[in-house]
Amino acid sequence: MAAHAATGAKTATNDVSHKRRKGPGALATVYLVIYNVVMTAGWLVIAVGLVRSYLAKGSYHGLYYSIEKPLKFFQTGAVLEVGIVPSSVVLTGFQVMSRVFLTWAVTHSVREVQNEDSVLLFVVAWTITEIIRYSFYTFSLLNHLPYLIKWARYTLFIVLYPMGVTGELLTIYSALPYVQKTGLYSITLPNKYNFSFDYHTFLILTMISYIPLFPQLYFHMMRQRKKVLGHLEEHSKNE
Amino acid sequence: IWHHYVEILDAKTKDKLCFLDKVRPPPRVCVHPQWYPARQSIRLDPKGKSLKDEDVLQQLPVGTTATFYFRDLGAQISWVTVFLTEYTGPLIIYLLFYFRVPFIYAPKYDFTTSKHWVVHLACMCHSFHYVKRLLETLFVHRFSHGTMPLRNIFKNCTYYWGFAAWMAYYINHPLYTPPMYGEQQVTIALMIFLFCQIGNFSIHIALRNLRPPGSKTRKIPYPTKNPFTWVFLLVSCPNYTYELGSWLGFTMMTQCLPVAFFTFVGFVQMTVWAKGKHRSYLKEFRDYPTLRSPILPFIL
Repeated sequence: MAAHAATGAKTATNDVSHKRRKGPGALATVYLVIYNVVMTAGWLVIAVGLVRSYLAKGSYHGLYYSIEKPLKFFQTGAVLEVGIVPSSVVLTGFQVMSRVFLTWAVTHSVREVQNEDSVLLFVVAWTITEIIRYSFYTFSLLNHLPYLIKWARYTLFIVLYPMGVTGELLTIYSALPYVQKTGLYSITLPNKYNFSFDYHTFLILTMISYIPLFPQLYFHMMRQRKKVLGHLEEHSKNE
Repeated sequence: IWHHYVEILDAKTKDKLCFLDKVRPPPRVCVHPQWYPARQSIRLDPKGKSLKDEDVLQQLPVGTTATFYFRDLGAQISWVTVFLTEYTGPLIIYLLFYFRVPFIYAPKYDFTTSKHWVVHLACMCHSFHYVKRLLETLFVHRFSHGTMPLRNIFKNCTYYWGFAAWMAYYINHPLYTPPMYGEQQVTIALMIFLFCQIGNFSIHIALRNLRPPGSKTRKIPYPTKNPFTWVFLLVSCPNYTYELGSWLGFTMMTQCLPVAFFTFVGFVQMTVWAKGKHRSYLKEFRDYPTLRSPILPFIL
């Protein structure tokens, strides 16, 4: 959910700092380029997997299984970028955490939701976003950023972000009855640590938290868009 | 006799806010009615540190024309107010859970009391702790700064009140499970708790005595005749050390995971504060004792 905002913040910082400061050292640059290329490739694999599976099956249903493993691998791998990108650790960390949460603690853990179309909705949103984002970073590091990529990154979120959020919320919502029935990840009283945790309530609270958080992040991205794409004429002055 | 021409500029926009001609040692400037003195930050450099109330114009490194930069610190609230609010909350909230006020637990438990004596003991300790804090705020502490930003009170109260409710819910729950090692565990825990409460209080008194009433001087604290202050030999901020000890005792007493969590979070925050304080002691005093650690002897 926090996907696009964090990436927006990262980019704006990247764009500006890129020209003002010397940027990362040579070794760090190599590492970052390799990382971003690998991630771009990974999400391309997921995209291709989705398309092939769709063509083979002839329907949108149950495509999750065809990309389950690469999705888990590459989304979890994003943990590595927390703290190494110029953006705030808090923002990046939060975004990655929320993605990993949805991948493992909801979709993986509650088998019954894996067939839901809502899963496809957020997977597609994430896939397109990440392909663009990681190729954006790759090109930026190599100082050859095609305008198309920059444009895509700061424009497609307008549709992809709500799409992803909708998919995420619907998926969590459909997981609720199963979580309640099985008591998944929940601890009840009495126990010797005098602690309890109701995963069902936790998921509901998570859904509610989207209400204040989503608009903030969305409008943050909008502002970043104006800042980055708005200076078309003043390109040289700004950068 | 010197006269100063004083001008005050906005630190961000560099607009001239006001100027004073023929100034002699200096009252605080009231630039705009809503910017009461507590929220004014006046400095020599736009990005620099704030000047203090006590700074005298003649002693500042300015020529006959003094340029100051003004920054609005935002709405301010007094430390005393914040402390009283953030400490009264836990006191009352815990008691609401202790007396099992309606709408917390199942209706059949309303206004019942726990059958475990450790639950009564815990309530006494928790209440004692916050009453002590309130009294210290009113009668013991001498604050360097009068005020802090207003938003802090919301942040701080959420933290204190939230955790108090969370802990109190479990300790006073009808399904509460008393400590594994029973009376032994509780007794030892109580000893630790009381020892650290006295210790913490001793440190507060010692710190207070370093500073004459109304002054804001800073001195190196040293051990006094009170044995509880001998910790100063090894630690810069023993008040935090004792505070940690108190909550470890309370955790042991209640054997409650949320309490352990609260203790841990508090420890992290106090360590940050202790390290900051330790660093500023080292910066300010050349002869600061080298044996001391910020919060845990030899460790942290």
